[in-house]
Amino acid sequence: MMFRNVAIIGCGQTKHSSKRRDVSLPEMIEEAAWRAMEDAQVTPEEIDAIVVGNMQGFGGVAQPDQWIGDWIGAPGKPVMRIATGGTTGGSVGQGAIYAVASGMYDKVLAVAWEKHSDSKEPGATTGLLHVALANFFHAFNYGMNLKSLVATTVVGAAAGVAVYQAMFYMHRSGCRIEHFDMVAAKSRRNAAKNKYAHLQWPGCTPEDIAKTEMVAYPFRFGHICPASDGASAIVVAAEDIAKKKEDKAWVKGLASYSDEENQLMSESYGGVGILDASEQMGCRVSAMKAYRMAGITDPKREIDVAEIYQPFPSQELIFAERLGLFDEGKAWVALEEGEMEIDGRMPTDPSGGVLATNAIGSSALQRILEAALQVMGKAEEHQVPKEVRNAVAHGWGGVTNYTTVTVLGDSPR
Amino acid sequence: MRRVAIVGYAQTQHQFDMQKTREDMVFEVVKEALSHAGITRGEVDTVVTASTDFLDGRTISSVFLSMAVGAYLKDESKTEEDGTSAAWYAFMRILSGVHDVALVEAHTQGSTFNPHQVSFYTLDPLFDRQIGVLNDVSAAAIQARMYMSSYGVSEEEIAMVSVKNLSNAAKNPFAQRRMPDLTVEEVLGSKLYYHPIRELMMSPISDGACALVLASEEKAKEITDTPVWIEGVGVCQDFYLRDRNLLELDSLRKAAKDAYEMAGIRDPYAELDVFEVSEKFAHEELMIYEALGLCRRGKGKVLLERGATEKGGEIPVNPSGGALAADPVCATGLVRMVEAAKQIRGEAGEYQIPGVRRALAHGQFGMCAQKNWVFILGGEG
Amino acid sequence: MPYLKEERPETLGVEGEWNIGAYTWKANRLLEEFVEGLKQRKLVGSLCFGCGKVIVPPRNLCGRCHRKMEGRVVVSDVGTVTCFIISPPIKRGKIKVLGMDPVEQGLIQEDEVIIPVFVKFDGADSNLGTLLIGADPKEVHIGMRVRAVWAKETRGELSDLEGVEPLR
Repeated sequence: MMFRNVAIIGCGQTKHSSKRRDVSLPEMIEEAAWRAMEDAQVTPEEIDAIVVGNMQGFGGVAQPDQWIGDWIGAPGKPVMRIATGGTTGGSVGQGAIYAVASGMYDKVLAVAWEKHSDSKEPGATTGLLHVALANFFHAFNYGMNLKSLVATTVVGAAAGVAVYQAMFYMHRSGCRIEHFDMVAAKSRRNAAKNKYAHLQWPGCTPEDIAKTEMVAYPFRFGHICPASDGASAIVVAAEDIAKKKEDKAWVKGLASYSDEENQLMSESYGGVGILDASEQMGCRVSAMKAYRMAGITDPKREIDVAEIYQPFPSQELIFAERLGLFDEGKAWVALEEGEMEIDGRMPTDPSGGVLATNAIGSSALQRILEAALQVMGKAEEHQVPKEVRNAVAHGWGGVTNYTTVTVLGDSPR
Repeated sequence: MRRVAIVGYAQTQHQFDMQKTREDMVFEVVKEALSHAGITRGEVDTVVTASTDFLDGRTISSVFLSMAVGAYLKDESKTEEDGTSAAWYAFMRILSGVHDVALVEAHTQGSTFNPHQVSFYTLDPLFDRQIGVLNDVSAAAIQARMYMSSYGVSEEEIAMVSVKNLSNAAKNPFAQRRMPDLTVEEVLGSKLYYHPIRELMMSPISDGACALVLASEEKAKEITDTPVWIEGVGVCQDFYLRDRNLLELDSLRKAAKDAYEMAGIRDPYAELDVFEVSEKFAHEELMIYEALGLCRRGKGKVLLERGATEKGGEIPVNPSGGALAADPVCATGLVRMVEAAKQIRGEAGEYQIPGVRRALAHGQFGMCAQKNWVFILGGEG
Repeated sequence: MPYLKEERPETLGVEGEWNIGAYTWKANRLLEEFVEGLKQRKLVGSLCFGCGKVIVPPRNLCGRCHRKMEGRVVVSDVGTVTCFIISPPIKRGKIKVLGMDPVEQGLIQEDEVIIPVFVKFDGADSNLGTLLIGADPKEVHIGMRVRAVWAKETRGELSDLEGVEPLR
């Protein structure tokens, strides 16, 4: 069990858009970091340590913390760089939480970012670097048919493994493509209330989404997350400091359990032992551990709002179930009944989530940040209209095998 | 604050172009570290790894290794850069009380991709990369020049560092460059990269991995009779290359100060018995002596000349051979921790320093050691 | 699209190339065993002596047991579709694989519909991603029984397994 209480005392993020050509990479990161420090009312000198992260190579700089450190007050301080793919932001946030919980540091700044537009290539995967590229080259040496490559990768190119995952989920839950339209429309509408979000579409309806082109069944163009430029930052502090602050969100539980990789292959093109890509055991275990730490026994009742990492609408439903917020295979029923809306019983992604804003390295930190804003009651227009006692923030990445779950609350454990 | 100890470790035999896949290399080193600790994967609570995507040649390079490092359904994370960063994070994870036993792993296969090329990509893309003059070796050459002309250090004196470390490495079965009879002339006769940096004055390109098992006090005492305690940790990042005084390793000085303070060390020269440092270039070792507070500025060469840092000296530095003997980039700092722990436990074999109670391990990353991690390790009693 | 837009001034853009260069990855030799099996029209999988799981194509390690998958078994060439995707008709210039247009390269016919499927072959505990051949998109369903389709002449290559076809 965690020895000392830790709270988030400051949040800062940039406006997200597809091209932040008005700022350079360090300037963009600085914007979020300074906003977080201002919000926490601490000076850069008071920060004891910094945790940073983004997707390696995106934006064309390796270990950018070395270059951008000067902009966020890093020189002379301990700096930890974390990179775990899509979960990077969540891992960065948890890194800062552990740093304070350890008793070594009292105030820690966590910063995560992505600046996709610095790279001209779609999806910002720079040059030759690709998660499984080495495995594909390996398979070519054994006479892999190019058509199979087209089949296994291109159909899912826009959506990757998420397509398979959605198919598995639809099959076993009875969820339909209309529900994905509903999730996407909800995200766009919610995002319109969030001044920092990227894809904002006030009054968007499922019918609007249904009109968009089919990219790879069951995903339409309107279902897919954007590639955003943006950064987010939080300031994490020890109990005695946090108690003196007016606004804070207490960390009640955290976990990041890894599953078996399940994107079609393992190292050197071997198979994987996961039959259902939507099973996501890592998320289920992480949620169980984080809730236990937080003293939450019935997440359906005790969690008031969830910020779920959902680059695709199916994932909001899958992970909502994995986080124990709805019965197995029933999230889409709750969606139909409006439970997941901002004013619903279990609001999910009131900020619009990753579907609306996806600066990859920062996306999972943004979930923690948005959950903290909800707990503090500072989410402004997208604040859920009820008392928020506990909020859960989720991150997802790797080749679908990494998960971060962070539970925040309005009182210390 | 609870105490945390190193209870098990393993490293590969570092070499260029190891005939082993990254997956096998990592799996084997992790298995070995667990068996050295005498525990099973089931007893591990959290896994922290360190590697760098560019060196591994894959985005999110840790994903296909989560099975190999034993992270399946374990609380895991991955830091980038040096392995000491992962050790630092795992240490904090245990200190927090959330976890009791942590596995730390770091690796690089330098034969996959030239690590010196990666260093170029860490530069400011708006200026330094456009100019194209700097890389880790040329930056080190600038630093070496500044150091030599400021403090009157000769090339021969820098070459003596290589001679000391590489002949030490001859006794270390895990080292890559093992040169028992190396002379200053041979070092100065090796291939010139950027004056004064020559092949034997810079670390080699190595394939290698290293793993550590850390445990909280209660667990450590259950697991082993000879725990190696982490008594102090200091970490510090410096300004970006262009914005700092290359003549000083200020961030190492700060990191060492923090680590000494945590461990209650006033006089490192007298209180520490052995030092394992990551000197990616020979001249850096002299600067490291100074930053660690072992001598005054510019006096590093005096320590070396006096033989104080030799294996039989008062403050042996790198009896294992250090980074000059093998440099599997991300694992290098973690290997220093293992070597320091071996000295404390008396497991260093032919290069054992007698009577080691306390040791210092240092890891670095970035151009001219922009980031530094310092660990103070201590034995029982 | 009626998305909200915000105008911002632009900074100077600095053009630059990012030539990552060539990597030499190290890989294991398990695919050799797999393609050797394909040559004999057999699907070879690895068996974990710890938990008994069978993975096709063979993989090196069992993460659950944290041990090498030392056994080798041949699984059935009949299996069950566990997941499928029906592509939209593929148009020229729409997609790129490794920088190439597969339609232009003649890998795929213009307007062809491809159906990538996951198949759990009987006896395996893993999915194999392959193509469904000779099936009406309307009849594809999860749980559909399929059989491996082999190349006329097997040469010990991954392409020896052309795909799967409905079991009738």
